[in-house]
Amino acid sequence: MKLVYTDLINFLSEKPSKNLLSEKLFQLGHEHEVHGDIFDMELTPNRGDCLSLIGLARDLKIFFGNSFDLDLYKDNIGSLDINFKNLSPEDCPKISFLEIEIEDIQSNYKPYLKNFFDTIGGNKTNFFTDISNYISYELGQPTHCFDSATIQGNLVFEKKYCNNTFKTLLGSEIYLNDDNCVFSLNNEVISLAGVMGGASTACTPKTKKVLIECAYFKSEPLIGKTIKYNLTSDAAHKFERGVDIKCHDTVLRRFAKIVHDHAKIKSIKQRSFLSNNTDDIYIPKDLHKINKVLGTQLAESEYEHYLKKLGFDINSKIKVPSYRNDIKTQNDLAEEIARVIGYNNIESHPISLTNIPSYKKNDMVPMIESFLCKNGFSEVINFPFTSKREKKSIIIVNPLDSNRENFRTSLMDSLIENLLYNERRQKESIKLFEISDIYSKNSKNTDILQEKRLGIIISGRQGNNPKEFSKKLDYKYLNHLLNSKSKNEIFKITEIHRDTLDTKKKDKIFYVEVCLDDIPDIFFSNLRADKKFVNFISYKPISEFPSSTRDFSFLITDLNLVNEITNILNGTKDEIIKDSFIFDFYKNDKTDTVKLGYRFIFQSSVKTLSDEEINKKVQEIINPIIELDGVCIPGM
Amino acid sequence: MSLDNINLLNNINNTGTLHPVNQTKDYLLDLLREIGFQEVHGPEIETEEFNFDMLNIKKSHPARQMHDTFYVEGKKNVLRTHTSPVQIRSMLDKKPPMAYSSAGRVYRKDDDATHLPMFHQIEGICVDKNINFANLKNLIHQILHNLFGSDVEIRFRPSYFPFTEPSAEVDILSNSGKWLEILGCGIVNPVVLENCNIDSKKYSGLAFGLGVERIAMLKYGVNDIREFYKSNLDFLAQFK
Repeated sequence: MKLVYTDLINFLSEKPSKNLLSEKLFQLGHEHEVHGDIFDMELTPNRGDCLSLIGLARDLKIFFGNSFDLDLYKDNIGSLDINFKNLSPEDCPKISFLEIEIEDIQSNYKPYLKNFFDTIGGNKTNFFTDISNYISYELGQPTHCFDSATIQGNLVFEKKYCNNTFKTLLGSEIYLNDDNCVFSLNNEVISLAGVMGGASTACTPKTKKVLIECAYFKSEPLIGKTIKYNLTSDAAHKFERGVDIKCHDTVLRRFAKIVHDHAKIKSIKQRSFLSNNTDDIYIPKDLHKINKVLGTQLAESEYEHYLKKLGFDINSKIKVPSYRNDIKTQNDLAEEIARVIGYNNIESHPISLTNIPSYKKNDMVPMIESFLCKNGFSEVINFPFTSKREKKSIIIVNPLDSNRENFRTSLMDSLIENLLYNERRQKESIKLFEISDIYSKNSKNTDILQEKRLGIIISGRQGNNPKEFSKKLDYKYLNHLLNSKSKNEIFKITEIHRDTLDTKKKDKIFYVEVCLDDIPDIFFSNLRADKKFVNFISYKPISEFPSSTRDFSFLITDLNLVNEITNILNGTKDEIIKDSFIFDFYKNDKTDTVKLGYRFIFQSSVKTLSDEEINKKVQEIINPIIELDGVCIPGM
Repeated sequence: MSLDNINLLNNINNTGTLHPVNQTKDYLLDLLREIGFQEVHGPEIETEEFNFDMLNIKKSHPARQMHDTFYVEGKKNVLRTHTSPVQIRSMLDKKPPMAYSSAGRVYRKDDDATHLPMFHQIEGICVDKNINFANLKNLIHQILHNLFGSDVEIRFRPSYFPFTEPSAEVDILSNSGKWLEILGCGIVNPVVLENCNIDSKKYSGLAFGLGVERIAMLKYGVNDIREFYKSNLDFLAQFK
């Protein structure tokens, strides 16, 4: 909800600055952003009573006082003869109608109405609807204006099963189905109650006689209707959050006054229909309970002062104001008092949790994690949704899209996708694992099965060092890593063939998936769940530009230089060097020489590097080395 | 010089890495364990009863609509929208005093630049005689001082959750002078205690919940939540 600062402070005795007002709104729990004079409020869903100028002013009264001099229509209002039946009083316990006929239509609005449309009121529609929109902003009560001439016959409010199209007053045609609260005229739906009126009975710029409907719709039957029918409705937003059942007289007299400010009233009549479902709410006085909930030591006088300022009547019991649909219990009152004291002003007190029984932690997952990380595997987390449906798949009724209709029954597809993703990013050595719960239906479709699974996938080089660079990640590697503790195979290793995958790479892919409960104890012997030291490093965004690789093969004839050369190479840092490492090392004992292979991977975070830029950097790196006596790059 | 020696010269850290979201989750769980919370687990596919009804989330609450919550076949089950049902299961299972933490994946029907259909939550609940809002504040201060330093400026704001009353949202002041929302918390609504067969006249509780990705983003300086789930090794390797 947007509101204008100057409009709000009109209702406050003191006139706080924007900063002070903002601070106090936050203290009360009313989140917002301030843009110039506009406060863009994001109110919690329990505070429907604050969705108006007067509502927020009531809440702010404790800090700034109120000046509620609402200008109301004071003259006598006649009794309206209307052919109306409320067939669903449980959904709408109170409904009032005001009929006004004016002599001339006024298009020059008084400053308060003009300012509203100049700032946040949107487009003007017609005289009566414009007033209705302003009233909703000022007092929080939505009203609906029917062109009185169109309401001829039996008018009914009802919740009914619909199966028909309905044209809204904004001109869109919607298809109504299931149960809806509606107004019907001679059995035809003319308004989606509390949400939007219909085109057939809407006011026009020519309307001189209006029937204003002012109702207390319960929130439950309206929830979800705007989304279902793709409508935007300020009225529904307010009814869903709760309005004041006792405001009808004030609202309609204020409506009449605004009409009167602009036009000569020819006739004015009103009628209210009230069912008996409108009891006031009383809560026992219990200061002790409030202090117990908050951990405070409030005095009786403070307690009463705060509640009175918030509009509660205090006698032998506490009477909740009719606009506070959210207050029912002592804990609700505790929150009220905490808000006005300020949550930040309540002193904190430690608690001791020493009397809580301790427990033994299951170390299986951390042991596997430590083991795999130590061996160069990286953990991934995948979303569980898939387009693939099996008999045992759990199906999502309302998926985001058809590719995410089912819960995955295996980790394999996700891990293959992760592998291919990294291969496309020139990763040459890929070792990934995922630990996740997998859900499926049992064979009789009567129960949901849950198991914690481990998935492991490998492909490419074993590592970026001379010992492993030329070796591939293969069955032997994985088998040695996982199955060496037992004569029997602990983990079943399978090869995933590339012919069905979208890839041109040739390296073999090996995969393991196992339910954690099926891993025998022997695997965990000698494994430890290492204490993790979480390093909250400062993350550097990864580059989306391609990388380039340059390999160098140094022939070192003076063996004393090996350390110096590797130090120079390893010490070379530059913003375009993403990675560098020794990938080959061969000592020829016959010739007493060393062959040293070194790889640089270049990548920029801002652009695709040209060969020229890379070659320039390469010269800078290797020139100081090949100038040394006892080292050369054969062929250069 | 041997091959093994030369490997030592290489400046590459060949270890793998635990996912940063899991690292953050484990860090928070360890922190809560030190304070005295014990970890409990629950299923990601939950009944409507545990995910909503027992937590005082009424049928009419917007969170229960099809556009916010994933429903699974039969419509009686949902993908849990928060980790709170785990607390319900634990409260039904044991008697107070109790202090439980639970962490895990939760689901909301969202998918845009700042919201994912799956993310991680961690929460704690503590029920005993005489637990109050002042205790809650103290506990939240402990957690946030550990995460963001003892001089971090903390702001409590009234908020609304059906399962706590009073409810609060807690912000910290960032270096740029902007308040950042960090967590939600409150005094357990007595209705929820009663739903779990705990006498609300005798016992009271506090509860809090944090988004793990949110904490990870702030602590690591990751600006786009989607980065966590691309499984890019260049990304993951940074969290060694």
